[in-house]
Amino acid sequence: MNELTIAMPKGRIFEEAYQMLIEAGFNLPEEVEMSRKLIIDIPEEKIRFILAKPMDVPVYVEHGVADIGIAGKDVLLEQQREVHELLDLKISTCYIASAGLPNTTMNEIAPRIATKYPNIAMKYYKGIGEQVEIIELNGSIELAPMIGLADRIVDIVSTGRTLKENGLEEYEFITDVSSRLIANPVSYRMKGDRIIDLVKRLKQCVN
Amino acid sequence: MSSIKMFEKPLGMRDTFPQIFEKVEAVRQTGRSFLRSRGYEFIKTPTVEYFDTVGKASAISDAHLFKLVDSQGNTLVLRPDMTTPIARIATSKLLKEMIPLRLAYFANVFRAQETEGGRPAEFDQMGIELIGDHSVFADAEVIVTAMELLQQFGLKDFKVTIGHAGVLNCILQDYTESIEQEDTLRTLLVQRNYVGFEEAVASFDLPKTKSDALLQFIDEAMNLKEIQDIEKYVRKNDALEYMQRLAKLLEVADLADYVAFDFTLSSHMSYYTGMLFEVFASGSGFPLGNGGRYDGLLNVFGSKVGATGFSIRVDRLLEILAGQSVMKEEAVVVLFEEADFESALEKVQVLRAVGKQTTLQMRSSLVDEAAFIAQFSEVVVIGQEEVCCE
Repeated sequence: MNELTIAMPKGRIFEEAYQMLIEAGFNLPEEVEMSRKLIIDIPEEKIRFILAKPMDVPVYVEHGVADIGIAGKDVLLEQQREVHELLDLKISTCYIASAGLPNTTMNEIAPRIATKYPNIAMKYYKGIGEQVEIIELNGSIELAPMIGLADRIVDIVSTGRTLKENGLEEYEFITDVSSRLIANPVSYRMKGDRIIDLVKRLKQCVN
Repeated sequence: MSSIKMFEKPLGMRDTFPQIFEKVEAVRQTGRSFLRSRGYEFIKTPTVEYFDTVGKASAISDAHLFKLVDSQGNTLVLRPDMTTPIARIATSKLLKEMIPLRLAYFANVFRAQETEGGRPAEFDQMGIELIGDHSVFADAEVIVTAMELLQQFGLKDFKVTIGHAGVLNCILQDYTESIEQEDTLRTLLVQRNYVGFEEAVASFDLPKTKSDALLQFIDEAMNLKEIQDIEKYVRKNDALEYMQRLAKLLEVADLADYVAFDFTLSSHMSYYTGMLFEVFASGSGFPLGNGGRYDGLLNVFGSKVGATGFSIRVDRLLEILAGQSVMKEEAVVVLFEEADFESALEKVQVLRAVGKQTTLQMRSSLVDEAAFIAQFSEVVVIGQEEVCCE
């Protein structure tokens, strides 16, 4: 049996996905000591987990240093990498939407959009025929409309609480997001048996 | 943009240093003698072609083409692949001479990159084209040649995944209710987005028998060991029969172990009209090569004969071969003092005559003699007394 390397985002998604793997019958220790470790080996199952930034999971998988990985659909849409999207795990579901200050319209002369997802935002506004300027930010996107940097933001919304707390209102729904199981195209062929088995077993556990 | 530094190269362009050059050369020679032994003749085409002919016909998307303008105002492209130029020559000249035609190439191709700066925008491809044979034997020959070429390089852990555009089209047509639905599903398969495929099927509101069949198909058809497993989804058609015959031929060639069938395999290249395949090997995260039947491309150039072929990326092959040791060549250096040029010349002639790779170097020009001679397996000093060391 080949070793299978799985790239996982740190934090809550890792824990949820890890529980799913246990449910799917993988022999994994109940408690993993996360702390600052970047690599976790499970010799019993010949599985190695790589813990990565969510945005980096598709990078590891595309280059084949991880055979499979768990990545948010938001990241997949943003980066458009050459990976196989095998299974919707239906965990950490949320959606991407545009938001802004209540009862505002977009500036006619210089409509600006602040976002962590420049490609998704650009594609969306192109698609509805709006010419906008995209401003890429790395976090605290909600600040942008409050201080006048942008008319709208494009960001993920899970409960809508962050928006509300910052006095913002949701405008347009853009797309649904959830965690997906992705695979490297070469690994998918060379370690096909293991990957397909894993997909089948996980599929049973997806609600 | 910051100013360009003196040592910089255009994005995605690479220098090939001597050590790598020799490796590429070794791969080229092995590949060349192997392909020639099977009756494939090597061919060279121009680096630059017209955008309106080769550029448009090529499967490589517009955004990845390097474009230039000539003095008459025509748009030119750096060739993005070799299949299209070969289709151009084959239809315009060579086909009139003999059919079928077996051609091979080892050439650099150019594809502009956007994703990451370091990805190669110019790389070598090695491949063959078998033009003018419609039969399943031609496709089998191409697949077998691809696999045996890899074996020639000592590769053991590789896989060839084969699909057929005709089988996929038949399934998509039978189980959807409009051309738009068919195209949506095909696009999702090109992107390998199986989750999206299932979502799309659900959103079409198809009769349950149809949507169930599609979902089962996607589950099963991705990795088939036996071609029979697909038969229940497809009404009897030529494409399926064709694949059954191809599978038999590969069995006869005793290469079935390396083969898997995937009928979800789909290409954005619309000219792949029939069988198509991808080549994978352990050691690189990216596919090693691909191929298939592209009768449609020859139609673009006005010919009705069939064509099939494959290409592999040499840079990825080298990455895979890097694990394997390469024989280091014996190299001799002859160092001489000013007064001894004549006897040094005689010495190198003797060494070269017995086939030794021999460098002649004036000793006093050396800045760091120890570092220089470290590159060689043997050092001969002409002048004082002759010294020899291993």
